Amino acid sequence: MNELTVLMYLLSRKTYKSKIGATEGEILNALNVKDKNKSIYFQNLINNLSNYLEPLNLQIRFNPLNSYWYISFDPETNEIISANPFNGNPRLAATLFCTLICCFNSSGETTIQKIKDIRKKKGVLEDIKELKRMGFVTIEKNLNKVSLTPLIGYLIDLEKLFLKTALKLRK
Amino acid sequence: MQYKDFSEEINKMIETIKTRVLSGEISLLDIELVPIFENLKDSLNIFNLNKYSMTYKSAFHLLSQKFEELRIFLDFLDNKEKFIDFLKTNPNDLEIHQLLDDCWRAPFNVDAISLKFLESSKDKLVNEKKEPLIIEPIDKIDFKANFLLEIPKQKFTEKMMTFFDLIKSKLPCSYDEIFEDEHDQIKLFEYFVYLLHLLQLGKIKFQKESNFLYLEER
Repeated sequence: MNELTVLMYLLSRKTYKSKIGATEGEILNALNVKDKNKSIYFQNLINNLSNYLEPLNLQIRFNPLNSYWYISFDPETNEIISANPFNGNPRLAATLFCTLICCFNSSGETTIQKIKDIRKKKGVLEDIKELKRMGFVTIEKNLNKVSLTPLIGYLIDLEKLFLKTALKLRK
Repeated sequence: MQYKDFSEEINKMIETIKTRVLSGEISLLDIELVPIFENLKDSLNIFNLNKYSMTYKSAFHLLSQKFEELRIFLDFLDNKEKFIDFLKTNPNDLEIHQLLDDCWRAPFNVDAISLKFLESSKDKLVNEKKEPLIIEPIDKIDFKANFLLEIPKQKFTEKMMTFFDLIKSKLPCSYDEIFEDEHDQIKLFEYFVYLLHLLQLGKIKFQKESNFLYLEER
């Protein structure tokens, strides 16, 4: 077993539904790296692996919601395998987007009321419950607070989404 | 060396970009400038150096403008309220759905395959290997003097009975009183061992409740 196998295993393992891949610390520990410049070593490692995986239509990505590194298919392959779980359900996608924006505006969690105020649609609560069932959000017992699970960070390219939204706003 | 001069073409390209940006048709952020610099780099030689330096200057001007646009854009991204404002404009579901459209990613994981063998293999790899134990012969000391093992003058039983005779007059007494006159730690330990043996042999008895040592009456 070599470095590549260890990295492939760590980056593609799924511990829970919303826990895929490994943190920088876990990777360095698994490879027994104890150098002073281990962060630089890690970046080089990820870059080299990324170049190696590119021809296989795979990418190394970082989930900002839980700081996990993982492997995902490249955008073209995503289209082929239809990565969008809301195909044919724009309503649920829109509620998820509103929840996302509300959570990012209030340090990770928001209230159902705030989502309702922004969404201005009936049946928002049912949508949020559906999103919970799909593993995207968690709802507090008294149905007041909603927070995102790390799953969103795996399934959506948040950087691209915000960039697209910002470009749309500029226009 | 073959004479190549693409400076005019590159200049034209730069001018076109500038015009399109100024007319608001495109943003510099949408334009990839790397091909321009690649082209310049690949065709640069001593013959076209003069013309190329001017073209480089124009390309760098465009690049610095792009950085400025990027800085403004990042400032804009920092303002989280803008996103809320966007939602307040009440965009329709399809519009939002399209925003998300090409942002979906599918993580690569292999649920169907058991990775236990990889886990154990990884553990074997990362476990620090202990250095094998090396037994080195010790250096011999040349000791010329005769070495004699010191043998005690009295046997253990004799020493124990001497101690017994010594404390017999004190009994019955508390455990602490037996040792109160002795301050040498080695001697204290020696006496304690005798005492344990005397207790085991039944020559001395110990009452736990009162912490007293006494002689058994016959």
